[in-house]
Amino acid sequence: MASLAPTNADDRPLLEIRDVSVALRNGNRTMVAGVSLSVRPREVFGIVGESGSGKTLLTRTLLGLQDDAYVAGGSVRFNGQSLPIDGYGTQARKLLGHSIGFVPQDPFASLNPSMRIGKQITEAIYLAKGWPMGAERTRDAAISLMAEVGIPEPALAFNQFPDQFSGGMRQRMVFAIALAQDPKLLVADEPTTALDAITQRRVIELILDRSRKHDLAVILISHNLELLRQSVGRIAVLYGGQLLNIVASSDIGHRMVHPYTEALFDCIPTREKTLADIRSIPGEPVGAGFGLRGCAFASRCPYVVTACTTADLPRNSAMAPSFSACILGRGAS
Amino acid sequence: MAGVDIPMVELRGVAKSFARRLFVQNRSFALRDINIAIGRGEVVGILGESGSGKSTVANIITCLTGYDGGTYRFKGRDIAAYTRKERFAFKSDVQIVFQDPYGSLNPRATVRGSVMESLLLHRRDLGRAQRIERANALLEEVGLSADAGERYPHEFSGGQRQRIAIARAIAVEPELLVLDEPLSSLDVSIQAQILELFVRMIRERGLTIVFISHDVNVVRLLCDRVYVMNQGAVVEEGFARDVLSHPQNEYTARLLDAVY
Amino acid sequence: MIKRWWSFPKTNVERTAIVLGCLILLLALVGAFLVPFDPMKIDFRAKLQAPSLVHWLGTDGSGRDVLSRLLYGAQLTLASTFAVIIVVVTIGCTIGIASAFIGGAVDNMLMRLADIWLGFPPLILALGFASALGASLEAAIWALIFSWWPNYARLSRMVTSDILSQKFIASADALGVPTHRKVLHYVIPNAMDVMLIQIALDISAVMLAISGLSFIGVGAQIPAPEWGAMIADGRSYVSNGWWIVLAPGLAIFITAVSFNVIGDMLRRELDPTSRRR
Repeated sequence: MASLAPTNADDRPLLEIRDVSVALRNGNRTMVAGVSLSVRPREVFGIVGESGSGKTLLTRTLLGLQDDAYVAGGSVRFNGQSLPIDGYGTQARKLLGHSIGFVPQDPFASLNPSMRIGKQITEAIYLAKGWPMGAERTRDAAISLMAEVGIPEPALAFNQFPDQFSGGMRQRMVFAIALAQDPKLLVADEPTTALDAITQRRVIELILDRSRKHDLAVILISHNLELLRQSVGRIAVLYGGQLLNIVASSDIGHRMVHPYTEALFDCIPTREKTLADIRSIPGEPVGAGFGLRGCAFASRCPYVVTACTTADLPRNSAMAPSFSACILGRGAS
Repeated sequence: MAGVDIPMVELRGVAKSFARRLFVQNRSFALRDINIAIGRGEVVGILGESGSGKSTVANIITCLTGYDGGTYRFKGRDIAAYTRKERFAFKSDVQIVFQDPYGSLNPRATVRGSVMESLLLHRRDLGRAQRIERANALLEEVGLSADAGERYPHEFSGGQRQRIAIARAIAVEPELLVLDEPLSSLDVSIQAQILELFVRMIRERGLTIVFISHDVNVVRLLCDRVYVMNQGAVVEEGFARDVLSHPQNEYTARLLDAVY
Repeated sequence: MIKRWWSFPKTNVERTAIVLGCLILLLALVGAFLVPFDPMKIDFRAKLQAPSLVHWLGTDGSGRDVLSRLLYGAQLTLASTFAVIIVVVTIGCTIGIASAFIGGAVDNMLMRLADIWLGFPPLILALGFASALGASLEAAIWALIFSWWPNYARLSRMVTSDILSQKFIASADALGVPTHRKVLHYVIPNAMDVMLIQIALDISAVMLAISGLSFIGVGAQIPAPEWGAMIADGRSYVSNGWWIVLAPGLAIFITAVSFNVIGDMLRRELDPTSRRR
């Protein structure tokens, strides 16, 4: 395969999903519709959405981890290789084995409580690379990996069990397991929600640092727009199962963006804002499964016109790096 | 007469230790030497990470849990000296809204029933028709439609349930409202709605507020003064705009640096 | 509310069970007025008659009409069952709820007592009662009440302390809701579902226990038309009067299965752990 390696790897997207829809197996209801986005190598990419927006369903299905949903349409390419839509889950899980690392939300549930930390990490190294170095050197590799993710006294921690560590330390261990495979892409789904603020900042910085030093692309999924705005380059905004906006994080708060992104940013308290800057969005969030007829945000949008509920939602079929699905063209570059 | 100088809430040297039980690890810290004074009409934040003891302070202020040392004076009177009657009257002076809007309403009572429960206990002078009328008015005040009263909590979203819990709490016209992480389990867009509701209530009802939160940015927006807690102790206190821009304590500084 | 209950049965087995359960309850209520013959009247000229148009379910070894006895027995058996259930639920739940509210050492003591109590097999207790009070249906009922209450004490304590740990109870405390009101308006309505499931499942268990005790001779005594006693009475005629045993046997079987199916259905539909979030 090495001969097929593209000469200009930088320009080629690492992950390319085009018009992807995700449906539930039970009832075939389409939950996420027509999402197109691409992630470049080494890029740190964010996905933001409120609960029920479909962000977790979309990523877990794309990784082949969601048993009750499937990719119902569109195409997915990873590292230049196209993934079949039939039997997608099995293919995606193979990638998850070595090219894609995954850090799930709950650091308490994602480690085996009855297996020593070291064993869990060496096992991940073994699964990814076979047993090329022998037990002794695999152990050393695991310990240096643990040191890299900031676990103090890794040689000591190697022989301990997960429950002897705090949430932040456990999330580092999950991170070490994900990195053991030396992936090209790391997907982290709300990796810091269960952690307190100080630990959250450390874990996020650890992820960003690793991305810079090891040419790792990262997809960071969060409900916290401010966290993403300060951490990632581009942000995809999901709402009601629709992709409403892909925006450079530096544009938020400075340039015109999609009305939902704008409204979401206006309602979160940040360092700079005063009470007068906070504007809430009226109504309740729409759950995933809105489809593509009309904009899911129309019912709460301050700029709404009749066309917003009747027109087909614009899609990013051209795979533009930034995109607004606003029917009125707001935030479109 | 109680002078203007007497704080509404005064915790002096309050301490609490948790009974250690075999095989049970208690992750929240015991409280050490807590000194908090809250004047009438103030909006005071208690800021801390989970396990800092801030929720235990909320429970002590609302008399939901006891303490082992120190004194708690409410409007100048030691609550340890309360008679039964005073203790009951205290409940209509101090109310609390919890974090979890799913668990804080009786699932088998209608929404109006939950609000009327407050009136039934503390406004014995009201007849049934008046209670219904007042409950409807309260539900409207917190932004729920008139037909909401007949329905049960599970039919509502998290934000709406939090509105119901707020209506229930203000029904007895408390002087002090303790808000224990009232926004944490809500969606971002709903958090802002509830925040606006608090701001309106503080303005219209002249409530004294204790706002328990881990969210520095929300405390900065809402509170006049702030107490920062870490590991069961108050590490810094002062005006919110000072503490949250020029922290003196090392922990506060680290916390502020970490917040996005 | 009614609409909610109608949505419960999901299979024809469950619908049948509900119809049968209601039919059995109805027969137990009015069956005594429908009986074609005196269930106790001995007529040796008519003994061991096979089912016919006159005696639909035949006659037993003493010439008594089996159908009449079965209908009377429905009343006797089910009334005893419900008597046991009502008393046991009342005593058990009172102790359990009180235990959860009081907590601490009292709670511990009451629950250990219930544990020890559960160690006694009901059969042995019943035998003890029978030898003390004389074998009778009353003795069997007392024995069952005596041995069954700890189940409800433990269950209701567990459910109550679970409810008490929820935030809406803390909200009630912040309002100063008095204890009796907490029990009536907060605990009981929220515990109802779990208790109903247990009761539906226990109806068949208690009925089987009463019939079983009667069958081995420490419950209802033989001329009484209790179903277990009827089987005991009929077992010596199995070769030449199979209907005498079959009729009460089937009645026990159908009743037990019906209530069991209803109980399982309620568990599936009402149990908070098996649905929602």
